[in-house]
Amino acid sequence: MAKRRDVLKAGAVAVASTPAIFGGAAIPRAAQAQLCRTEGIRRPETEPNSPPVTPYSTPLYIPPAMTPVDPQTLAPPPDPNRHQRFDEFQPVKHYVQHLTEGLWEYHPQLSALNPLSGGEMGVGSLAWLFNGATPGEQLVARYGEPVFVRRYNDLPATENALLPFGLPYTTIHLHNAHTASESDGYPGDFVGPGEFWDHHYGMLYARNDPNEALASLWYHDHMLDFTATNVYAGLSAMATFYDDLDSGDENDPNPDALRLPGTYGKYDISMILHDVRFDAMGNPNYNVFDTDGHLGDLITVNRKVSPYLEVEPRKYRFRIYDGGPSRFYELGLADESEMFVIANDGNLLEEPVEVTSIVIGPANRHDVIIDFSRYSVGDKVNMVNIMEQINGQGPTGRRLEGPDRMPVIQFRIKPLEGPDNSRIPDFMRKLPHINLNEVVAEREWIFDHDMGLWTVNHEFMDPTKVSAAPQQGTAEIWTFRNAGTSWAHPVHVHFEEFQVLEWNGRPPTGVLRSRKDVATLGPGDSARVFYRFDDFLGRYVIHCHNNVHEDNAMMARWDIVPNGGGTGA
Amino acid sequence: MNKTTRRTFLAGAAAAVPVVATAAVAPGAVQNNPAFKTCPRATGGKNAFRFPQVIVKDQHKEKAWFYEQLIADKLVLISFTSVKGEQYYPLLNNLVKVHQMIEDRVGKDVHMYTVTTDPYHDTPEALKALAEKHGAKWRFLTGAPEDVREILTAFNARGSLFGLSWIGNEKTGRWMNKPSRLHPLYIAEAVARLSTGKQHKPFLVDEHSV
Repeated sequence: MAKRRDVLKAGAVAVASTPAIFGGAAIPRAAQAQLCRTEGIRRPETEPNSPPVTPYSTPLYIPPAMTPVDPQTLAPPPDPNRHQRFDEFQPVKHYVQHLTEGLWEYHPQLSALNPLSGGEMGVGSLAWLFNGATPGEQLVARYGEPVFVRRYNDLPATENALLPFGLPYTTIHLHNAHTASESDGYPGDFVGPGEFWDHHYGMLYARNDPNEALASLWYHDHMLDFTATNVYAGLSAMATFYDDLDSGDENDPNPDALRLPGTYGKYDISMILHDVRFDAMGNPNYNVFDTDGHLGDLITVNRKVSPYLEVEPRKYRFRIYDGGPSRFYELGLADESEMFVIANDGNLLEEPVEVTSIVIGPANRHDVIIDFSRYSVGDKVNMVNIMEQINGQGPTGRRLEGPDRMPVIQFRIKPLEGPDNSRIPDFMRKLPHINLNEVVAEREWIFDHDMGLWTVNHEFMDPTKVSAAPQQGTAEIWTFRNAGTSWAHPVHVHFEEFQVLEWNGRPPTGVLRSRKDVATLGPGDSARVFYRFDDFLGRYVIHCHNNVHEDNAMMARWDIVPNGGGTGA
Repeated sequence: MNKTTRRTFLAGAAAAVPVVATAAVAPGAVQNNPAFKTCPRATGGKNAFRFPQVIVKDQHKEKAWFYEQLIADKLVLISFTSVKGEQYYPLLNNLVKVHQMIEDRVGKDVHMYTVTTDPYHDTPEALKALAEKHGAKWRFLTGAPEDVREILTAFNARGSLFGLSWIGNEKTGRWMNKPSRLHPLYIAEAVARLSTGKQHKPFLVDEHSV
């Protein structure tokens, strides 16, 4: 690796020579851009680079918590008959969201390029927004306090949309809440411009077991065939679930409370990463014909290009999300100092794991605690991505070094404003007991590529086909297998969290000892996991969360059926 | 092959000669380097730059500029197969069912094409026989192998078997794909979903939860 780079550096200083495959003649480096490169081909480096922007020059956007509305103002009122167990989990918080097309300021230098910016639409780059923002407002919720969200699709009709990609039909999935099918954002439950859809979030623990609590979730569009483009357009946001143990209050007098760094938005900060490629007008750019995946060349955090955040010299909880569509990250602080992973895919681990970097694929989340007390006021420390990826299929397996590391976010140390009463507990949340005697079925899910499309168990997405029908109240063992030789697949299953039994045949260690909803499989990897299916019935999906693969048929429907009502086929 | 000559030859046949956008004009010293092939891109539509500026020939030997005359400003359903590939991975019978569902629109506001994945062997005559064998009443396209390869590249189609149909509306610039062997109703649904105006239907099969 170092050798290859040295060679390239030497070449760049003198005159970069052209490899023999391009005819062998020495040509200036800039002239290589003149090679015939069609726009449709799969190598993302053939897409034009984003206009240059200065990293770490715009502040991090921290989405505010959603503001409740008076349920009396909802017309028509919520229909209890449309939701499973609505009366059992009657909403105590009601919210309304409007999905619109507008401008969002990813970076002032991009906005400055945009002829639309500065007019009646405001300032920024084209985007699809929740209540005028991306990420949308945070759903900050608490177990035991059910939530009702009405989402209006107020996007323009396709022929009037300014954004050149995506389709203005939406179905919003709260990933990976324990949600009844009709509120889950099933790909077939989409609405078009002028329509709305109601979502009921019961805020119940799976199996009524507090050890099944979820903490860091996100909501995003799940439109059939258009998830990658619609999410890339801006339709993603985050959710934070609290309970008595993980209460979001670092001064919580409850002796059982973990007192992790909090409160929301201050010391408990959610950050969703999307890699975006911008065109010469500063608008997001997307090549729909590249079915391998889409790579951006700029990393946005909460839809700000490489922002900065002023932090106090104390502990912070960062909930770090890979929002996709196709990029995998290895994230670390540039000084390689330690962080403590406390949650995987939003679920608290039993014990914190000390690391110097975290690896996440699309839809993975890691909660980490960073203690900035080791720095002095005025210091700056950058978080960088060191995972090399050159196309949408998956990472190369190599690490980026030195100046090739991609800027993510800069932390700037400011004076302490008060005592830090937060803790990094030795023990957090117990993993639910696995009883293998409950297992009634084993299933294998093979993720592969065939005839130009991505497949699950050798088949393309077909909504009429129920690929599995586990019975409610039973447990199963599922094996996810990546049959690919060069691509990675973050396998996501809706509704239930799994626990890893074996990863490539070995028991899990470290952050893999956890409940998860995305199994990020490298080439040839397999994961054998334990599931239980409880509480609700209906249609769910399993899919690759490289959203480009998902949109290109790598999804399958599975249903939870009443116990005794099916064969568990 | 000398592209300029070919284009000049075709200029007489084509009603209008589209403007050629040359994405790669190799400057000065590298102009004669064989590494630099000229790479004309189509112009005049939302995704024109993603398509090559090439001529294709259908099974009736009718010639057309691939993008400008067959795709720009149109709603299209494009599939890919070949005489040989159809033996191993048949998809035309399924597409015939799709055609039946949208027959009243095909040739009017929906344009249906099958591009050969084997331009080295699939002559217009061979494609005519293939279409007739399956009762396929839409245009089958071939052309100079290097031109067809560029078309296939634009759709990320690799190999002689390619199981994807692309549905695109260049009025809105929106494209999507469906497996060519998926239930024909879902392919017809994709056409309806990408249609605009009165023909637009978000779905043909209502799969919404109650």
